[in-house]
Amino acid sequence: MNMNRPLSKVTLEGLLQMPQYSLDDTEKNEVLLKLIKEQLPKTMANPHVKNLFEKQGIDIEMIQNVEDVPFIPVQMFKYFDLSTNPDAKIARVIKSSGTTSGSQSIIPISKETSANQMKGLKSILESYLGQKRRVMIAIDHMGINDPKMEITARGAGVRGFSIFAKEILYVLKEYSNGELVLDMPVIEKLQKEYAGKDVYAFGFTYIIWKTFCKQMKERGLKLKFNDAIVFHGGGWKKLTAERVSKDEFSRTVADLIGTKPERVHDFYGMAEQTGIIFIDCEHGNKHVPNFSQVIIRDMRTLKPCKVSEKGLIEVMGVLSNSYYSCAVLTEDIGHLEGMDGCPCGRKGRYFRFDSRVERAELRGCGDTFRE
Amino acid sequence: MIGCHLLDGEFKDIELEDFDKVVLSVSKNRAALTNMPLKAITELLNQLGKSIIRDKKFAMLDGASFISMWLRRDNLERICKLNFVNSSFLDHFADSGAGFEMIAQPRGIVCHWVASNVPTLSFFSLVMGILTKNGNILKVSEENKDILIALVRGLSDLKIEVGGKEFFGKDIVKAISIVSFDSKEATHGEAFSMAADCKVIWGGADSVRAITALPQKETCEIIPFGPKYSFGVFDRGAVESADFRSDLKKVLRDILLFNQMACSSPQVLFFEKSAKPLSDIVQTMKEELAGLPERLLSRPIPQHIASKIINARSMYLLSDDKEVIQSEGLDWTILVNRDPGFEEPIHGGCIFVKEVNNIMDVVPFVTRKIQAIVLCTADNQRREVFAKAATEKGADRIVLPGAAHDFTLPWDGIMALNRLVRWTILYSKKADGGSNAAG
Repeated sequence: MNMNRPLSKVTLEGLLQMPQYSLDDTEKNEVLLKLIKEQLPKTMANPHVKNLFEKQGIDIEMIQNVEDVPFIPVQMFKYFDLSTNPDAKIARVIKSSGTTSGSQSIIPISKETSANQMKGLKSILESYLGQKRRVMIAIDHMGINDPKMEITARGAGVRGFSIFAKEILYVLKEYSNGELVLDMPVIEKLQKEYAGKDVYAFGFTYIIWKTFCKQMKERGLKLKFNDAIVFHGGGWKKLTAERVSKDEFSRTVADLIGTKPERVHDFYGMAEQTGIIFIDCEHGNKHVPNFSQVIIRDMRTLKPCKVSEKGLIEVMGVLSNSYYSCAVLTEDIGHLEGMDGCPCGRKGRYFRFDSRVERAELRGCGDTFRE
Repeated sequence: MIGCHLLDGEFKDIELEDFDKVVLSVSKNRAALTNMPLKAITELLNQLGKSIIRDKKFAMLDGASFISMWLRRDNLERICKLNFVNSSFLDHFADSGAGFEMIAQPRGIVCHWVASNVPTLSFFSLVMGILTKNGNILKVSEENKDILIALVRGLSDLKIEVGGKEFFGKDIVKAISIVSFDSKEATHGEAFSMAADCKVIWGGADSVRAITALPQKETCEIIPFGPKYSFGVFDRGAVESADFRSDLKKVLRDILLFNQMACSSPQVLFFEKSAKPLSDIVQTMKEELAGLPERLLSRPIPQHIASKIINARSMYLLSDDKEVIQSEGLDWTILVNRDPGFEEPIHGGCIFVKEVNNIMDVVPFVTRKIQAIVLCTADNQRREVFAKAATEKGADRIVLPGAAHDFTLPWDGIMALNRLVRWTILYSKKADGGSNAAG
């Protein structure tokens, strides 16, 4: 580690400022454990979080490993107010998509949390985009980022990724019935005025595939930039029926945007850990930034899995001072590919997403008591 | 395609486009079973039961020892007597006592749709069909077919002698076919239904509704063993008695067996207020659960159930007025709350625990979906009062701890063997020239 001060002195600010993926797994665990143990007493302001610790008899001082920090399943954000800072002014509330259950997660974001999240995202993106500002193509409609509207995960995504944008162009428009279509004047403008320029694009995976790619192909349209970089994430579960693979997705998008498939980066993230995203490197591995940790938990024992063993993905984070984000257990299954050894040179853990937890409820004769 | 795993006595996997061969084979071969005396059938099954308990490959099968005991000749005879009063009706015309003779004829071909949650369910369903001398075609899930095949294969090699005549298990096996096909294949489902003279359906609400609605012969009988829910009740005397710990242990076994996914798996335990605080009871539960055999504790849990357990645990941990006591992994979970009534099942060893002022407070919640109530009370008068009220509301079985899953007939309120036969009557002229007709 190339740092001027010992690990025990590293602050969250310092963690956000240093180049991402620079800490190896052991170093990161040491830094994160210290920061999380500083944050945990403050989370006790939330009575539910307090219950969680008290009922399990957890003494924060006695926590020795990041794996021992109690997790909260992502579904709990749908049932409980997990605000941890009654004094913090809540700047905005993020609502998740609620695809699986129909109900939405509600995540209160304070100014400080929001600032940390932006800094976090910026430092992650820097590792892929460098510091240069570029034209950003938002593969969505302009209304998704309307400050007057309630913030959704989609809107937060566009807003977050726009951090390196010197200009944002929205390539879709929304009809009053909610239908998304290509915004042809914008597409034509991109073809005429932006060909050969440095751009990056961002969109939700299912919107890119179901709307952008479909309509571009139907109209025989293509764009051409100078080595564009595409980031996409969220919504693979909405593409289950299409059975599209990540490779096919990358090839198609690269062809339509005029870049190489390896410049199309899938990322994994969630509204409950905004600011932390895990972007695929050129080797297809999702990397964990310095200010986060990923634990893969065995679905039967809940113990951390070894490399290559599949389990539930737990995402740890230190960006929030307004809700419990120290350890969030997802309903996604993944596996660690390794630690500190990815050929791309990024340090820390790297993993892959495998699937959503199976939802099929094959009920037998044991069933509800309701008539 | 239809996967066929047993046809004409041959255990081999073949693919079929329709059920023609299966129906033809079972129809032709069931004559030998129909003509076999009940005594020979029960003896062959008795021998099968003995071989199961000796066979190492069944050592890890949940309920193997129960199957073995259940197949004992005296038990099978008891079941037949309960269903037919006079088991002779299954072999020949016998006096009905109403001025005519009766014989219980097999319905013909019984098609069994068997849910996959209890691996041995298909075998119990099959034996009911065998005892009533029907031909049997069983649709089983991919994960459970090997267990059924292994059990039936054991019958294939048996030979016994009754009344100086030899009888062969092979003759019973030849009247059985085991098939599997995708339930979404409407054509196969309809053809399977049309082949049935009787449909035996084990499954959830959707399955029962869908299979019942399939086209069928006008004469087809339907025996639905539909979705059900079970629970346990301890009265004050039982909680305070010296037997409490051993009764509790038996109920906990009932809960964990079959991953708590059977209709007879208790989901909630109600404890009547007593001198023992609920916290002590839960502590005893914890100790007894920890001491259960590894085989019961470390069973695989499907992903969606594991996810439900994790979420339920967290709901209880985060809530103000709920308690959770849990194993380190997902072996077992005790969820304590004060809400009246039942809880939607989570399965996978998740036990809801509630305290009630009086065990009779539970009765108003009983519906026709209640299968087994494990009732722990030493007071027989109280037992009867509770049982009368609960069964009137809809419960099917009031059982002792450790016996929740014991497959006894009636099951789900149905005397199934009785419905697997056609009751036919014979009037004859008496030797003195009169008729035996009533009046």
